[in-house]
Amino acid sequence: MATQDTCIPTEYKPYGADIKETRPYSPCRAACPAHTDVQAYVGLIAQGKYTEAFEVITSVNPIASVCSMICHHPCEQSCRRCGVDEPLAVRHLKRFAIEQSRDYRRAKRKLVQKTKNKSVGIIGSGPSGLTAARDLANLGYNVTIYERHPVLGGMLAAAIPPYRLPREVLKEDIDDVVTKGIEVKTNFMVGKDATLDDLMKKHDAVLVAIGLSLSRSLNIPGVEGPGVLLAIPYLEDVAFGRKPKLGEKILVIGGGNVAMDVARSARRLGVKNVEMVCLENEQEIPAWKWEVDEAVEEAVKLNYRWGPKAVKRVGDKVKGLEVTKVLSVFDANKRFAPTFDNNVTTLLEADTIIITIGQMSDLSFLKNSAVKVDERGRVEWNPATQMSSAKNVFVAGEVVTGPGSAIAAVANGHRSAIAMHLFLQGESIEGKLPVQEKEKISEMPSEVVEKIGKQPRTKVRHMAPEVRVKTMEHFEEGFTEKEALEEAGRCRGCGGGAVVDQKKCMACLTCLRVCPYGAPVVEAYSTIRPEYCQACGLCAPECPAEAISMVSYDVREIRNTLPTLVGKVDPKRQEPMIVAFTCANHAGILDLDLPKNVKSIPVHCTSRVDVLDMLKAFEVGADGVAIVRCGDGNCKYKDIAPRVNARVKRVQDLLGMLKIETGRVEILSAASNNGGNPYSAACKEFSERVKTIGMRAK
Amino acid sequence: MIVGSQKPIDEIWNMVKDFKKVLVFGCNTCVAICHAGGEKEAETIASLIKMKASQEGKSMVVNHMGVMRHCEPEYFEPVIDEVKKYDLVLSTACGVGVNFLSDRTGTVPVYPGINTSFYGAVEAPGDFKELCAGCGNCIVHMTGGICPIARCAKTLMNGPCGGTNKGKCEISKDVDCAWYLIVERMKKLGTLEKLSEIQPPRNWSTSRDGGPRRISVEHIREYEATEEAKGGK
Repeated sequence: MATQDTCIPTEYKPYGADIKETRPYSPCRAACPAHTDVQAYVGLIAQGKYTEAFEVITSVNPIASVCSMICHHPCEQSCRRCGVDEPLAVRHLKRFAIEQSRDYRRAKRKLVQKTKNKSVGIIGSGPSGLTAARDLANLGYNVTIYERHPVLGGMLAAAIPPYRLPREVLKEDIDDVVTKGIEVKTNFMVGKDATLDDLMKKHDAVLVAIGLSLSRSLNIPGVEGPGVLLAIPYLEDVAFGRKPKLGEKILVIGGGNVAMDVARSARRLGVKNVEMVCLENEQEIPAWKWEVDEAVEEAVKLNYRWGPKAVKRVGDKVKGLEVTKVLSVFDANKRFAPTFDNNVTTLLEADTIIITIGQMSDLSFLKNSAVKVDERGRVEWNPATQMSSAKNVFVAGEVVTGPGSAIAAVANGHRSAIAMHLFLQGESIEGKLPVQEKEKISEMPSEVVEKIGKQPRTKVRHMAPEVRVKTMEHFEEGFTEKEALEEAGRCRGCGGGAVVDQKKCMACLTCLRVCPYGAPVVEAYSTIRPEYCQACGLCAPECPAEAISMVSYDVREIRNTLPTLVGKVDPKRQEPMIVAFTCANHAGILDLDLPKNVKSIPVHCTSRVDVLDMLKAFEVGADGVAIVRCGDGNCKYKDIAPRVNARVKRVQDLLGMLKIETGRVEILSAASNNGGNPYSAACKEFSERVKTIGMRAK
Repeated sequence: MIVGSQKPIDEIWNMVKDFKKVLVFGCNTCVAICHAGGEKEAETIASLIKMKASQEGKSMVVNHMGVMRHCEPEYFEPVIDEVKKYDLVLSTACGVGVNFLSDRTGTVPVYPGINTSFYGAVEAPGDFKELCAGCGNCIVHMTGGICPIARCAKTLMNGPCGGTNKGKCEISKDVDCAWYLIVERMKKLGTLEKLSEIQPPRNWSTSRDGGPRRISVEHIREYEATEEAKGGK
């Protein structure tokens, strides 16, 4: 069962999960409503561990594929790299990890044993409904989803245009959830095909996760009649491939992200002349900046700071929208309270108007039910328990939280799942649901920023605007492996760095002397300040008391896996057994064309390789050990090389004591080759050198 | 702090080769600071022994462990039962730790993995320097804060001797002449005239010459004895 500190019951526990929960989050993780461990999965991608990254992502996010396409990525907005150059392209890295894991995820799908003799009904299959369905199925409940559309996904399937979210992507997420053994009832309208009371009787608990499926309209003259459409029915037509009836000149009322979907999909339906009108100015407009930019690229014209006054018609036909000048949108308390200058009006010509000014829930099925609706038409609920006024009816997602992001609905879905689980187990709920706000590490200090090399964000390729408006197809290309590895390498590992075991530390100052970023403070024991630490890993191998561990990786992992990696060494081998610790930075692990006798261990930085790791390699039978570091000037950290040199020198001294040739350990630089993969070439050359020394007898 | 350095692997091997189950037991205080015998170095030595055993065709279990200090029982008592499961404990603590532990491991022998060298300071990372000899009668207030017992090759009380050479000791150009340092320091302090007083021969009975030493802090011992009598301890 999830505790107060973790977001959700998970199938996968990344390394350091226990430490992490007690420490401040990285800003990216704190910003994600589902607290996706961004830093962890980006680090795994950087090492070529794509399926492991997939596990980290999906452990908290059942609609990870969807989010990899449409998420507004608050993680990126809060990335501490913003202070250095540009944020990490997190959403694209997520997409890459997921695309690389397609076969893996399909093979992994399986039925979950129904261990609990209780059933839940979930109304709605959008982000919050799917999330709760997955969590409750994982916990062993019988889960039934009721969905009014012919397919699952809620607004993801029925409203988000395919150019933003390809349906095969959504299907992957849905298949993950459904194959757990969830009963699905599509084309099922609660209120018509069954009443809420029926479901309350049939199931031990019911979740209302119906989202906001009705468009709000405007109460202005001329709005009734042909030529004026509402956003959601229009988007449903687009989503299901039906042709909405559009004219030649379209005006979209509204400046939110849904309005952008409406306008941009209209362009893709062949309408050349698409304009938008909104109350806000360019700074105030609620749509994401990139949505506005991309819409403008697609020749959508925006009319800022105009308020709708009347739909003008000639006969039945729409002629345009009369608008009045907006003076201000928000009051002194930043509340929405638009003021107008009624003396300044104009006519925005159009033959079709689409109103996209907000959405609401269709609560008609709650009439005469035990679930109370307040005088403003909102479901009454208790955010501390996720419960409605009816004793076994819970709520999740935008029906109660109001409009937000898909990932916020996921987070709310998790809360409801936990609440329902507690309820079904006869436990109290209050005080046991996860805390949404998490403590995060603070800004990167300026003295640290100065020490970080600039590396521009990897560009995301888009279809050219004039090409993409001709199709409903997704317009954004994914990263190549090289791009993904390079981009992942930009991550500074915030919050994933060094932690000192106070019971072991004797305050010897070694870490203080080693750290290039001034992170440790030593008093009674060393404390490594997370806002300074770059998680390079240089300190842990230097600590004489082995008191330093890293949040983001197991410092003993290499030592522990070496015996398996090297395996049984053939006494009659013709080629030397080589262990190569390979820097994964700058895509160094890509296209490694290594002979079978070279076992490569990708490392985030060679600073993480301990003297003991090298000794262990010899212990388990290696004939040669190479540290393959990134080329000169490529290192993403500081002051690494001299320390690594010193460690290799130490290993050579120790080998000397055992009368083992010191030439069996070397530092190789990826810069030393002439074409092909520099890392592979350097390893091959080293292998030849070791061969001339000969195979070790034991 | 106490400074030591690792024994050569050949010497260690000769100590451990006839045992089947060896624990290399690190001490995470003084000898860890000087990178000789902390948990990290204990693991390093364990690795070398394993490789040596493999070279020699010997089958041997070698593990490592570390505690904060070997010289206070509370630190190793939680693991003492585990320690006693081995045939041999190779302690990488200083001589104090080796002795102390050895009295408490029953039939399991405790051998030294490092050579204990001196009381010293960290001159620079990785550079440790002897500054005190533990003579039991400190006189550095008379010598500008610089100890001639520990730092003069002849432990002269009225120096320097004729072997002083441009600030260095005749035994090595790398060794400072302690008395040169004393004179320079006392010049700076304005107390040089103190040196005109001739120091009489020292009574060395407070040092090693007086036999093994023991210090009891009476008020603590009395309290402890009372508690023990009450059965509280």
